[in-house]
Amino acid sequence: MGKLSKLHDKYYKVLLLIPILILVFCFIYLGFFYSQTGDIIHKDISLTGGTSVTMYIQADKIQLEQDLALKLKDLNVREIYDLRTREQKAIIIETTTDGEEAKLILEEHFGFELIEGENSNFEFTGSTLSNSFYKQLLIAILIAFLFMAIVIFILFRTAIPSTAVIISAFADILMTLVLIDILGMKISTAGIVAFLMLIGYSVDTDILLTTRLLKRKEGTLNHRIFKSFKTGTTMTLTSLVAMLIALFVVRSFSSTLTQIFMVISIGLAFDLLNTWVTNVSILKWYVLSKEKRQ
Amino acid sequence: MKKPLSWKIWLLIIFLILSLLAIFGMPPAFLQKGVIVSSLEQDSLLYSQGMRQGQIILSINDNPISDLDEYHAILSSMFPSEENLKLTFKTKSEEDIILTNQTPDIIVEGIPGTRIKLGLDLAGGSRALVKAENKTLNAKEINDLVAITSNRLNEFGLTDLKVLPVSDLSGDHFMLIEIAGATPKDLKKLISEQGKFEAKIGEDVVFIGGNRDVASVGRDAQNSRIEGCDRVEEGYVCRFSFSITLSGDAAKKHAELTDALSVNATPQGNYLSEKLDLYLDEKLVSSLLISEGLKGRLTTQIAISGSGTGATEEEAYINAKEEMKKLQTILITGSLPYKLEIVKLDTISPILGDNFVNSILFAGLAALLAVAIIVFVRYRNIKAAAALLVTVLSEIIIILGIASLIDWNLDLLSIAGILATIGTGIDQQIIILDESKESTIMSLKQKLKRAFSIILGAYFTVVVALIPLLWAGAGLLKGFAITTIIGITVGVLITRPAFTEMVKRFGE
Repeated sequence: MGKLSKLHDKYYKVLLLIPILILVFCFIYLGFFYSQTGDIIHKDISLTGGTSVTMYIQADKIQLEQDLALKLKDLNVREIYDLRTREQKAIIIETTTDGEEAKLILEEHFGFELIEGENSNFEFTGSTLSNSFYKQLLIAILIAFLFMAIVIFILFRTAIPSTAVIISAFADILMTLVLIDILGMKISTAGIVAFLMLIGYSVDTDILLTTRLLKRKEGTLNHRIFKSFKTGTTMTLTSLVAMLIALFVVRSFSSTLTQIFMVISIGLAFDLLNTWVTNVSILKWYVLSKEKRQ
Repeated sequence: MKKPLSWKIWLLIIFLILSLLAIFGMPPAFLQKGVIVSSLEQDSLLYSQGMRQGQIILSINDNPISDLDEYHAILSSMFPSEENLKLTFKTKSEEDIILTNQTPDIIVEGIPGTRIKLGLDLAGGSRALVKAENKTLNAKEINDLVAITSNRLNEFGLTDLKVLPVSDLSGDHFMLIEIAGATPKDLKKLISEQGKFEAKIGEDVVFIGGNRDVASVGRDAQNSRIEGCDRVEEGYVCRFSFSITLSGDAAKKHAELTDALSVNATPQGNYLSEKLDLYLDEKLVSSLLISEGLKGRLTTQIAISGSGTGATEEEAYINAKEEMKKLQTILITGSLPYKLEIVKLDTISPILGDNFVNSILFAGLAALLAVAIIVFVRYRNIKAAAALLVTVLSEIIIILGIASLIDWNLDLLSIAGILATIGTGIDQQIIILDESKESTIMSLKQKLKRAFSIILGAYFTVVVALIPLLWAGAGLLKGFAITTIIGITVGVLITRPAFTEMVKRFGE
C-alpha cells in the first residue's frame, strides 16, 4: 500500500486529466449531436409517437411479438377485448416504422390485404409527452440537480469539496448520456427516470468519501481515501452486479427495463471513475493545500 | 442470556405485519373464490334483480365459479342462444334470476389476490377514442385539448393515465385516453362532462373556471372543508365550502357589478339585491348571498359553497367531497373547449404482458442473491449477508404495503422507484457494515451513529432531487418520485435502524 500511496501522491493531479479530457469530448460531441438533431437524446416511440395498426383478428400476442420484433421498429403488441365476453376483438400493433412500410410488412406476414376500415385501421399517435411536457421534464431534472447541489452545500459547508461532489455527479450523467447517444439507444420516459436514479446512486459514494476525508481525523489522508475506496467500490460493485444480473434476466422480455438497467449500469461504471479519480483528486488537492497553508 | 429484542426490531416487525395485512387483506383475498362485478348499467336486467357493483358471484345455475375463466366458459357454452335461458346468479347474500337469450350485460373481473393495484402498463385498462361533438378539430386544437384534459384528469387525482393525440388516414384528429383500472363506464363519465363553470350576477358573468380568472383554489384543510350534514326529507345533505382567489381583472369585474346593486336588509343581515350564481355546465349549483360590505369593493377572496346528497349520512358526505373535488378541479383547469363525444370505447391489454410481474420478481431475487453473495465474500460473515437480505425484503414488503394502503397504481416507473430504493438501501447497509468494523477506539454505538450521518446526507439529497418531479410533465414521473420517496423514507426511519440493531447484536 505504501508504494501505491506514493504513486498516488505523485500523480493524482495528472489523473484528473482523464475525466477532464472525457468531459471535453462529451461537451463537443453533445454540441455536435444537438446541432444535428436539435435535441440531446434520440427519443423513442413514447416520446415521439408512431403508427398504430388495429387489426380485427384473433392472434397470439406473444407469438406475434416474437415474429415481428425484428421487422417493425419499437414494436408493442396489445389486445383489445370485448367488455362482456372478454373475447379478443382485435390486436393493436404499435411501431415507429412508417405507416406504408408497416402495412407491407404486416400484409406479407399475415398473407392478406389490409383494407382500411374493413379489417384494419391505421392511426398515427402523437407522443404521450407533448413537447411542452418534455421541456418541463428537462427543467424539472435541472431543478432536481440544483436542489441536490444545495443540499450538498448545506451538508459540507465548504465550497470546493461540495463543488467536487456536484461535478462528479454531473460528469456521471453527462458521460452516460453521451455514451447512450453514441450507442444509438433511443430514450423513453423510463430512460429519463434512469438518469434521475443516477443522481441518487452517484452522490452516495461521493458523500461517503467527502465525509470521511473532511470530518474524520483517524489515520493519514491516504489511509482514509483507501478505506473509503474499499467501502465505496463494494457499494458500487454490488449495485453494478445486481443491475447486470437484472439486465441479463429482463433482456428477453422488457425493452423498457433493459433501458433502465443499461443506463444505470453505464452510469455506475462512470461513477467509479468520477468518484475515485475526479472527486478524490480534487478533494486531495484541497485538503493538502489547506494543510500546507496552516 | 439472550438480550431482549430492541424496539427498533419490534418496529420493523410491526410494520411488516401491517404491510402484509394491507397487501393481502383480512381474510386473505387470495383464498376468496368467485368473480367480482365491476360494472353494470342501471337499466340492466340484473340490476333490477338487485345485483350491484362490487358483489361477488359465487355460482351460476349451481355451477360454482372460482375464477374468470370458469365464468366465461359457462356463459360462452350457453350464449348466443335462440331461446331465452334461465340464469341463476348466486352471490354471498342473494340469488338473482333472469331470463335472457344473450350474455348478461355485466362486466366482471377476477378477484385480485392482493390489494396492490397495477398500473396501465402492467394491468391494462380502458381506452377511449374521443372527438369533439359537431366540430372537426385541427392538429393544434387537438393538442390543446390533450393538454387541458391530461391536466384535468391529473388534478382529479387520476395519475395512471395516458392522453395523446391521434390522427387517422383520412386526416381526422382524435384524442386517445387510456386509464388503468377504471371501467369504461367510469371513463365515459369522466370524459362526457365538459365542466364549463360560470359565476354570474344576474346575466353578467363575473368569472369562469381556469387560471385567467381564478388565481388559486384552496384545497388544504384550512381553506376547504365539509361544513356539516343535515337530515332532509329523503336522506341527508352535506354542505362544503372552499375559498378561491380571483385574479385582478376578475376582482375588478366583481367590484363593478356589485357596485350597481342595491342593499336589502334582512333579519340575518344586510345583503345585496342579487346573488352570485354558480353554474356548472349551465346548471345552477348554488347561489351565494353577497354581504353588504362587498359592494363595489375590489375583493379577491371568495368562498365557494355547494352540497352533496345521499341516502345515508356517509353517502352524502362522500358525494359532497366528490362534488367539491370536481368543482375545485374545474376552477383550476378551466372547462374543456368543446363538448366531447366518444367514438370507440374498449378494454385494452397492457403493453407489458402477464408474465411481466413474475419475471421482474425473478430478476429481483436473482440480483438480491448476487448482492448477498458479494457481501458474504467481502465480509466473511453469513449473518451480515442474511441480515441484509432480510432488511431488503422487508423494505420491499413495506413499500408494497404502503402502496396498497394509499391505493397507488404500481406501474413500471414505480417498479423502477423500488429498484432505486433497494439499490441505495444496499449501499447504505454496506456503509453501516463497514463503519461498524472500523478499528478505532470508538464504541460500536458511536461508529453506527457516524454511519447514520452519512446516510442522512444521502437521504436528503435524493429526496430534494425527487420533489420537482411530483409536478413536472403532467405528473408523468410522479409514480417514480412517490415510490422512491416512500421507499427511502421507510429505509431511513424503519429498516436501517433495524439493520443497525442486527449488526450490533452480531458485534456483541
